Amino acid sequence: MSSHYEAPIRRPLIDGNKSYHDITVEVAAPVEGKANKLWWTAFTIALLAFLWGVGSIIYTIGTGIGVWGLNKTVGWAWDITNFVWWVGIGHAGTLISAVLLLFRQKWRMGINRSAEAMTIFSVVQAGLFPVIHMGRVWNAHFVLPIPNQFGTLWTNFNSPLLWDVFAISTYLSVSLVFWWTGLLPDFAMLRDRAVRPFQKKIYSLLSFGWSGRAKDWQRFEEVSLVLAGLATPLVLSVHTIVSFDFATSVIPGWHTTIFPPYFVAGAVFSGFAMVNTLLIIMRKVSNLEAYITKQHIELMNIVIMITGSIVGCAYITELFIAWYSGVEYEQYAFLNRATGPYWWAYLLMMSCNVLSPQFMWFKRLRSSIMFSFFISIVVNIGMWFERFVIIVTSLHRDYLPSSWTMFSPTFVDIGIYVGTIGFFFVLFLLYARTFPVIAQAEVKSILKSSGEQFKKLRDGNHE
Amino acid sequence: MASNKKYWKSVEELKENSSIVDTLRQNEFVEEIPTDVFLGDKENLEASSTTRRDFLKYVGFTTAAASLAACEGPVVKSIPYVIKPDDIIPGVAEYYATTMADGFDLANVLVKVREGRPIKIEPNKEANGTTNARVQASVLSLYDSLRLKSPKANGTDISWADADLQIISKLNEVKESGLPIAVLTGTCASPSTKKLINNLGETFGTVNHVVYDAVSESAALDAFEAIYGSRALPDYHLEKAEVIVSIGADFLGDWQGGGFDSGYAKGRVPNQGKMSHHIQIESNMTLSGANADKRLMVKPSEQNLALIKLYQAVVKGISTREASPLNDAIQKAATKIKKAGSKAVVITGIQDKNAQLLALAINNAINSEVIDVVVTKNVRKGNDADVAQLITDMNAGKIGAVIINSSNPVYSLPNSTEFVEGLKKVKLSVAFTMQDNETANAVQYALATPHYLESWGDVVIKKGQYSLMQPTIKPLFNTRQFQDALLTWTGSTATYYDFLKETWNTEVLNGTSWNQALHDGVFTSEVVGEVSALEVDVDAAGSELAKIKGSNFELALYTKVGLGDGQMANNPWLQEFPDPITRTSWDNYLTISKADAETIGVVNYNVANGALNGSLVELTVNGVSETLPVFIQPGQAKGSLGLALGYGRTQGLKDEMKTGKNGYQFYKNFNNFQADVTLKVVEGEHEFACVQLQNTLMGRGDIIKEATLEEYNTIDSKEWNKVPMVSLDHNEVEATTVDLWESFDRSMGHHFNLSIDLNACTGCGACVIACHAENNVPVVGKDEIRRSRDMHWLRIDRYYSHEEDFAGDVETKENGTGVLGYKNTMSDLEDPSENPSVAFQPVMCQHCNHAPCETVCPVAATSHGRQGQNQMAYNRCVGTRYCANNCPYKVRRFNWFEYPENDNFDYNMNDDLGKMVLNPDVTVRSRGVMEKCSMCIQMTQATILKAKKEGRPVNTNEFETACSNACSTNAMVFGDINHKEDTVTSLTEDKRAYHLLEHIGTKPNVVYHVKVRNTQEA
Repeated sequence: MSSHYEAPIRRPLIDGNKSYHDITVEVAAPVEGKANKLWWTAFTIALLAFLWGVGSIIYTIGTGIGVWGLNKTVGWAWDITNFVWWVGIGHAGTLISAVLLLFRQKWRMGINRSAEAMTIFSVVQAGLFPVIHMGRVWNAHFVLPIPNQFGTLWTNFNSPLLWDVFAISTYLSVSLVFWWTGLLPDFAMLRDRAVRPFQKKIYSLLSFGWSGRAKDWQRFEEVSLVLAGLATPLVLSVHTIVSFDFATSVIPGWHTTIFPPYFVAGAVFSGFAMVNTLLIIMRKVSNLEAYITKQHIELMNIVIMITGSIVGCAYITELFIAWYSGVEYEQYAFLNRATGPYWWAYLLMMSCNVLSPQFMWFKRLRSSIMFSFFISIVVNIGMWFERFVIIVTSLHRDYLPSSWTMFSPTFVDIGIYVGTIGFFFVLFLLYARTFPVIAQAEVKSILKSSGEQFKKLRDGNHE
Repeated sequence: MASNKKYWKSVEELKENSSIVDTLRQNEFVEEIPTDVFLGDKENLEASSTTRRDFLKYVGFTTAAASLAACEGPVVKSIPYVIKPDDIIPGVAEYYATTMADGFDLANVLVKVREGRPIKIEPNKEANGTTNARVQASVLSLYDSLRLKSPKANGTDISWADADLQIISKLNEVKESGLPIAVLTGTCASPSTKKLINNLGETFGTVNHVVYDAVSESAALDAFEAIYGSRALPDYHLEKAEVIVSIGADFLGDWQGGGFDSGYAKGRVPNQGKMSHHIQIESNMTLSGANADKRLMVKPSEQNLALIKLYQAVVKGISTREASPLNDAIQKAATKIKKAGSKAVVITGIQDKNAQLLALAINNAINSEVIDVVVTKNVRKGNDADVAQLITDMNAGKIGAVIINSSNPVYSLPNSTEFVEGLKKVKLSVAFTMQDNETANAVQYALATPHYLESWGDVVIKKGQYSLMQPTIKPLFNTRQFQDALLTWTGSTATYYDFLKETWNTEVLNGTSWNQALHDGVFTSEVVGEVSALEVDVDAAGSELAKIKGSNFELALYTKVGLGDGQMANNPWLQEFPDPITRTSWDNYLTISKADAETIGVVNYNVANGALNGSLVELTVNGVSETLPVFIQPGQAKGSLGLALGYGRTQGLKDEMKTGKNGYQFYKNFNNFQADVTLKVVEGEHEFACVQLQNTLMGRGDIIKEATLEEYNTIDSKEWNKVPMVSLDHNEVEATTVDLWESFDRSMGHHFNLSIDLNACTGCGACVIACHAENNVPVVGKDEIRRSRDMHWLRIDRYYSHEEDFAGDVETKENGTGVLGYKNTMSDLEDPSENPSVAFQPVMCQHCNHAPCETVCPVAATSHGRQGQNQMAYNRCVGTRYCANNCPYKVRRFNWFEYPENDNFDYNMNDDLGKMVLNPDVTVRSRGVMEKCSMCIQMTQATILKAKKEGRPVNTNEFETACSNACSTNAMVFGDINHKEDTVTSLTEDKRAYHLLEHIGTKPNVVYHVKVRNTQEA
């Protein structure tokens, strides 16, 4: 982006006395340097968790879904909870890179690369669950509308689960393209700096032959804009469609028209929390405090606060509508949700999602790194429980009391969930060591308008 | 067809003896084969079009192709008929009429045989046969892998010839010693067998035939004998009854052999404004109590007093003014009985001759039309005194030989140790048995007998009704019938079949055709004659009865609808069958009232995954102790305890089936009532396998709709059978009229509906087992049931009321106002009342015309059939379970594991023998697919095809499902609603008809009928 005028009240987005070269060096440093002990420890833990997950998945596929805690009444529990949780987390990346691009929010530049990486990695985790939750994974291709020899046998386009297949795959592919497009100039930068031939070869492959010509830049800008335009509706559609899995059903507690906006808000909420979790660590470990500034964190905290409040409103609205509907099944579903055997999950959800973000009204709290980190974790716990509450407490006591039962996870349920967290961190840690984690080309474009020293200079000139 | 055409290959052929033609004829390959290209010199090879890379490609391809071709599925070998038997057409079922008589269940049945294998038991409706859950399940016992497969002498295999020689010589020794031979059998209603036993006596001296019922009705037999002169049981035509008073008789269960449900149900369906009134006075919650209009909980000892009071009030006209709820109810019942006169009946299950005398006296006094003392029943013949005498004699060395048939006394006798001691003192002990059970291991000779489906026989269930038993399969093992053995031992060369036919031709058939009788399975002869009651001092009996003392805790032993007396304990269908009342499978337990449980400090609670756990107690009765789990049972009389017999078998069954504790050890003097009971709470807890964890209806009156007879008769059906209303364009309209979907024209072809009358359904569960058998439903075992993963396609929900009745629950629910009030009310409603009203509701797939499951399946594996069925394409199912989640009725069942061929599920589908029971018309589902009720589509299609082949339309009421066929009370009626004459068509239009959860708009093809209760007292 070309330089632009920025209002004087805006705080700098790049701290310190940075030159263009400084940016290059600092962004390239984690890639070019050696990994420290901390990285290796984190990577080992993540890898072990991942392997545990792989083992659990193999056990499930080899033996049957029966190794999970599900039963005749509760047909989905941790599987779909994890799915929705991961998809939700995957929302922040596209929101930051696409929507904020369209709204010309410059502060996205410091964080969009990692947010998008997080998106892609978490969508990969999310995509795992609809596949492995199938009783017969080996027939998973049945859900794809591919030509077959069975005559008119086709997928059921009425099914929200099929919509999910399209929504998730579209989202993943658009996000991936968008992310990669942004990466091209940065990969080219790494390629140009690389000294080892192997490294050079790899980065030149990854950068698709980026040459830095004016035409390259022009096309880059155009593609970014087009992709941002494409991705923006996806931000809204993906979680809307995920919410349809529940909203179009007939089960009290699922059959709720408020779900699409409520889910989207919840997704952005949890996604931003996850971005906060990751970046607060990363800015420290990779010495990127100058680019991912306190202000970035503060801004994200504000988004968390707002979306958290929207989610809170949705919770209250649900309760109100249940009462207002006058339908006894609906009323009982929500009474049971709040006061039934899973009351603790509801309480966790309420306190983590509605109460905890309210602290962000206080500037001191929202600009505290430690507090932000703490809240970001709390929010993601809360959001996991939100999905658990929606899925399990609606199912375990539905219409006919004779079928009421409870759900309790097995070690395999837990193993797979922990495994996806491990897998996510394996990917993210590898990413942190091999990818340019800051969109340095873009950041450079705002160095002159939003960099601290330039602001100082400018302000000095005015005085 | 060989062709004679000749083709000209060249003009040369016109010439005779052309050398060219000759050469060509000699040379098969005219052109030279270019082997050089591959094998020639190097230059040629290099120049050839086949390069090294091509060669590798070919090698690669062929290897891949060969290995792919090797990846075929496993080869399942089947043996084709070399010569096809005339009467077996593969794919076409044969039906044979036969009779089950195992001493506990006696029933006229039809056996469905496919390709020579009996696969299902159905009631023989032409012989008025009905089946219960055990009869339905008995076919699986034929394929029990632990059956005794050959005769054994002292635990080692022996040939029949050797066994015969040894036994005959020992019998001769006994004869010489002058000691009698005791033949101990279960209820033997076979005239030809009795004849054979007599023959045995003629050959070997004295034979003492002792009839022993594991669960005794001796008192009733004795009482009947005292009054009417013959040792038999009266029949009861409950369809004629206007008032039924039962004191401790679970006549819908196994009381006096059972089988009263069909008559009872006829009187329970409101017809022209009338239905019977049923009063039940009992201690355990039984099926009969659950169906009663008025149920009183009293301890067993108080039942005696209740009977005496009733007798006094009805017969003597004495009414005590004592103010107690029981007395009040008795007086009201007496008034009702008097009002109904001969249309009333009093029955009792108290195992005391005096009590039975009182009941018979009341019926005699009111001249009851319901009781039939002429056409008596032979379903129980056991004589407690004889059995006791036998054991004494055995121990005294007064018995020479004991021959046991179809009985397991070592397991079921309360004093079995004495019996075993006695067995050691006789010269010869022989047991004819199907199982390698406790008795088989205690005798010298355990002789393997065939299952009734492999046997010949005759049974007189009822006076004048002669039933035949015929084999439907060649004996699977080296077995021989008891009767054949008797014939051999008595020196006859005839087979039992010859003997049976001979006996029938001379004594029964009266000149009519044997083949016809065999075809029908039953031969009926007119029973004439009057029976007059002898004078018996009933008052003395009453005062004798009044002397029986109760105690703080009293134990009432009972049999479960599932396992009965326990002889089919190795039958996994019955083990997994949830008890209709407790909904618990794989167990017996001590039922206790909530009040008592609180007093002694025992609990039932749900663990994290919902499964039920309970405390343990040590029960001591007359010095016999056993640690038992307690099950808190609503409706259990305070101070009483219930325990099911038939569990706790230890020999001749798989480890999985060794469930529960043996209740027979407490069955002292064959009395189902035991005083002198002490309870001690012990450490530890028990894990129950309960399929229904929420026992009340939570005030959801639209799930089971109820009305009183008065409402039914006087108020418009819209009042008590309300159609839910919804708002459409700001107008209140009936929910059934609003729809999102375009309707499909279903007036063409068949449109199947199943009607379920909640008034007729007693909850017996025969349909559950019938469904199991018909549809190859897997057994999953106790652990999986605990994880709420039962696979039953058809379940019978049982609900208790929180208030006195379900109407009260609805009222309570509506009274809970405000958030807190609502919350408290709902949590209160979760607990059943102390003596609740009970409702049963069979639930299977509702086959919704607008099915929620169908829209959500991503692969369209479940879709709607043209005939109204909601179908499952198992091959297409990927197992997302979305359909099950979205099913409001929760009837879909998921295959969590591979159930067949899996050692972790070692039930019938895991062994070759057990698999023989599988219905070849129904797929055995693999792991990972969803399954559910198909409305027996294989049966409806077979009916359609049969009609088509015969070139006729399908007959009225010809369509059936396994459940509707098994239902002895006609509660389930299946048919085609596009066929106006089918009974189901009018039933769906009945004013009692409603759909389950109508407001969701699923438009089910299963229709329920509002339960009407005759609650009017006096």
